[in-house]
Amino acid sequence: MTSIKSMRVLWPLLLIVGWVVLSSSTARAFGEEGAFHPRILLTGHARWEGPRKSGPGRWSWELARRTSAPAKLVPGTIRADASALLAEPFVIWTGEDNVEPLTPGEITGLQKFLRTGGVLFVDDGAPETGRFLQSAKRELAHVLPEAVVLPLPENHVIFHSFYLLERAVGRVEGPKTLDVMSYGNSANVLFSSYDLLGALSREPGGAATFPVVPKGEWQRERATRLAVNLAMYVLCSTYKDDQVHAPALMRRRTTNP
Amino acid sequence: MKQSLGISADLPSFAIYLAVVVVVFGTLLLVVELRQRSARSTIAVAVSGVVAMLFCLVALLRPVSIRSHGSLVGPKIVVLLDRSRSMLLPASGNTRDQQADIALAALQRSSEGTRLSLLGFGEGVPVPMEKLALTPPTYGQSDLKQALDHVLHTAEEMPKAVVVIGDGRAYGIEANRASWMQSDAVGKTRVPLHTVLVTDREPRDLSLRNVRVASAAVAHQPLQLQIEVGCVGLTCDDAPITVRELLEGAPPILLASRVAHIQNGGANLTVSVTLDRAGPRLLEVATVASNEDEVPENNRRIFTVDVARERIRVLHVAGRPTYDVRALRMWLKSNASVDVIAFFILRSNQDNVMVADADKELALIQFPVNELFTEHLSSFDAVILQDFNAIPYGLSKYLNNLTSYVESGGGLVMVGGPEAFLGGGYDGTPLEKVLPVDLDGANSPAAFDLVDLVPRATAAGRVAPMLGALRSLFGDDLPSMPGANIVGAPKPGALVLWEHPSRHIADGRPMPLLTLGEAGDGRAVAIAVDGVHRLGFSEAAAQVAGRGHGALWDGLLGWLMRDPRFEPAQIDLIAPCLANEPTTLRVVPLPGMVGPISIDILPTDTSKAPAHYNQPLSGTGEHMEVPIGPLPSGGYIAKVRVGSTSTTRRVFACETGGDEWADSRPDEATMRALAQANNGTFHLASDAASIPLPPSTFVHTERSVSPILPPWVWTLGAASFLGLHWVLRRRGGLALPRRVEPSGKGVQQAYSIRCPSMCTDKPTGSSDSKRKYHPQRAHTSAVIANPRPRPRGSRSRATSDRKVRSPKRGKAAGGTPGPSSATVK
Repeated sequence: MTSIKSMRVLWPLLLIVGWVVLSSSTARAFGEEGAFHPRILLTGHARWEGPRKSGPGRWSWELARRTSAPAKLVPGTIRADASALLAEPFVIWTGEDNVEPLTPGEITGLQKFLRTGGVLFVDDGAPETGRFLQSAKRELAHVLPEAVVLPLPENHVIFHSFYLLERAVGRVEGPKTLDVMSYGNSANVLFSSYDLLGALSREPGGAATFPVVPKGEWQRERATRLAVNLAMYVLCSTYKDDQVHAPALMRRRTTNP
Repeated sequence: MKQSLGISADLPSFAIYLAVVVVVFGTLLLVVELRQRSARSTIAVAVSGVVAMLFCLVALLRPVSIRSHGSLVGPKIVVLLDRSRSMLLPASGNTRDQQADIALAALQRSSEGTRLSLLGFGEGVPVPMEKLALTPPTYGQSDLKQALDHVLHTAEEMPKAVVVIGDGRAYGIEANRASWMQSDAVGKTRVPLHTVLVTDREPRDLSLRNVRVASAAVAHQPLQLQIEVGCVGLTCDDAPITVRELLEGAPPILLASRVAHIQNGGANLTVSVTLDRAGPRLLEVATVASNEDEVPENNRRIFTVDVARERIRVLHVAGRPTYDVRALRMWLKSNASVDVIAFFILRSNQDNVMVADADKELALIQFPVNELFTEHLSSFDAVILQDFNAIPYGLSKYLNNLTSYVESGGGLVMVGGPEAFLGGGYDGTPLEKVLPVDLDGANSPAAFDLVDLVPRATAAGRVAPMLGALRSLFGDDLPSMPGANIVGAPKPGALVLWEHPSRHIADGRPMPLLTLGEAGDGRAVAIAVDGVHRLGFSEAAAQVAGRGHGALWDGLLGWLMRDPRFEPAQIDLIAPCLANEPTTLRVVPLPGMVGPISIDILPTDTSKAPAHYNQPLSGTGEHMEVPIGPLPSGGYIAKVRVGSTSTTRRVFACETGGDEWADSRPDEATMRALAQANNGTFHLASDAASIPLPPSTFVHTERSVSPILPPWVWTLGAASFLGLHWVLRRRGGLALPRRVEPSGKGVQQAYSIRCPSMCTDKPTGSSDSKRKYHPQRAHTSAVIANPRPRPRGSRSRATSDRKVRSPKRGKAAGGTPGPSSATVK
């Protein structure tokens, strides 16, 4: 009897709690259509597996934790020749070894993606060898034959889209800046020789998967900030380059050695 | 009938003159001859000679009798009567138009026998007064130049004189009097031009004589107004001048307030104002009228100014960065006609940025909500609130400002997301008043609906011009969108373009997803979804190269800015609106528009009642003329809705006097100068009867020509009298040649010829030059003066030049033979 009476009291409470829970999750569901989604690009016979698999999710989590931007905490994968590649404007292409030559369908898919305004982030998981990055650049030359690869200027908006950054870093320090392949006036393809996903990846218990060299956790924080900035660049474009923000940014640059 | 004499028309003029000269010369010779030579019957000889010459002359001229029938036709006088509105101004106890009637009546009384052609002039070609007699003067200007040009270059009969009756205020003269006077139509009329000034009295009047927009009107940039103030007959030292912008449904905005320091009856001042809204704007310039002012209507001028914009200035505020925000920002930045000021909330208070020193490590600035929604708000043409919650970021206390901004002509777009509409806390706020949809949260506990949907175009959405480009890309197959904000019913007059395919509002109608509405002087758009970025980046969008997103926003922003491309119809006034006179609107709907035309005439003065008109529409795109009014003086907004489309509008002003009453002074100098330049006379109305008019003209209607006598009569008479003259000459001894005596001493010499019966044989040899005529003698002596003595050996001129016929030797008839005529003594 007591248990039945208790249940009669608890049921409404459970309903209310459930409604609250569902409402809050509902609130996050509506509006996630435009949320940051670090999808992994698959080409050829590549599969998404290995120690860096948690990297994209961690990227979204850091973005959502530190900023007002919504992010999909369970990112997916997408093939380069899939029509769904055009569903969202951001995708990550990563690997550690030479990539297979892109098929015509993959080239066409990537061309449509980039020419419609999508952003491709190419992250070298093994910057010590550089084979992945070199092969990726080779294949992307077929996608955008008219584009050239140039270093990203140090005053590019990526370095101040959220955090003020002096340089790019990842799991390794690498060169000071990213390389970029532009189509039109936008930096559409960004090349990272820092293994950014490696810096972000976590073990199931939460510990970092890879050590960051040479500067350890300070460098990992800077890598995380670069990831946040990259996401903000994808979501806000050149917002932080607007004239209204320039004076404030210039003042901070001069006071921040 | 008139009868007159003439000469035959086949003779050239020189022949007539020559004949007359010959006759006169001949007569003179005859007189001289008769005076120098004695002859019997001198009078008879003279008379016969003269008559003979006259008969010869008449035979040559052959006079004719001309009989003509005809009538006396009065001269054509054209009277140009000023029918502009300035003729309604006061003049000596009545109006100028009444004074003109008095002058015209006096002219008609004094011009009996003339043909008066009465024309009223104002705008365009002059019109016969029979058509204008029952209407008061209503023309907006006095285009005397065109009227004179029409009268003097018509294919009809040229007038003998022109009379202009008016107050002298001619259109076009204020710009350049000298040039106006020198034009052919005005300064060189070729016929006398008389002027009648209906009044020379200037009414007591403080007036805004001229208001000119001195520079191009561009939004957000200073606009110069040049104002001329005049004062006649009143005590005016300092006249306060105000400039206001008149709005629909909102109080006027005071743009400037100045004082005109009047000296010598006038003042000129330049006032700088700034208009924040582009498009046609209503401006009012006013000064204060005193009780003694006889024309208070010209103390207030209302006019429209077309304000251009260099670029559309848009404030884009987003509550959080998403792909939808990204797509809109990239479109705004790529549009060369848009200046975008953007503020995105990148960090909320709950976010952990993991920094030690935010100022040094973060590239974030404070959201300047106070600056943006107070001092800078009016500088924007449109404000876009995208998924933006008013409460946490301090916007709530500025929603009144934002509401006033829209009602004063600004544009507002609210874009969906979890923090928009109900989710943003806008229900029950002042801003809800200007949104095109109700935010009735009571109907639903949730602020959004999660069901994926494809927006469905309504009937209005399928024809709306602002969705035309999007329709051409996607047709009715829009991309799927993940859910929608919950909103209520569309406001009255709002236009729903997209609706939810499955969700309904309380009254059963589909829930609106894309709604447009008017709010006061401004417009607002409600987009209750956050997935429109899929029009630019999606599998469906890739089929059209991602152009769908830009097509939608181009149409929405263009409609917001009243781009004519997206208006369902064009509205215009056929003629400037005159207060208390009927006015006609011309409505040109876009082709394909169907349904009735609904017209609302809204006064900017909210104390006046609006008016409403309905008219069916043919759907062929041809224009329609809709009579409205009469309307009292003031500013108005005509809002026209065609069928179920959005509303288009036109602002206009109705003035009592307009430019015609702006300067109430009659222009005597112009009237005097006109008359003087064209050989005419200047008169006042009281003196119109003394205008000198040209005389009447006799016009021949029938004419017959007949000779007085047949030509042979004149010829016979000439021959007869010539013969008679010859006979008389012979009888009088004038037919004999002269006898020459070789005296060489001045002795008259005589020539004698054989003259059997009528001459004497009496030698002369005396100074008595006259040789008596003796009818019994055969000799006829011709006495001539002795020529001058000749040198020895020279031949006698008389001998050598003599052409006297020598009488034959032998006996003369009845007498002894006379001496030889060749004998020189």
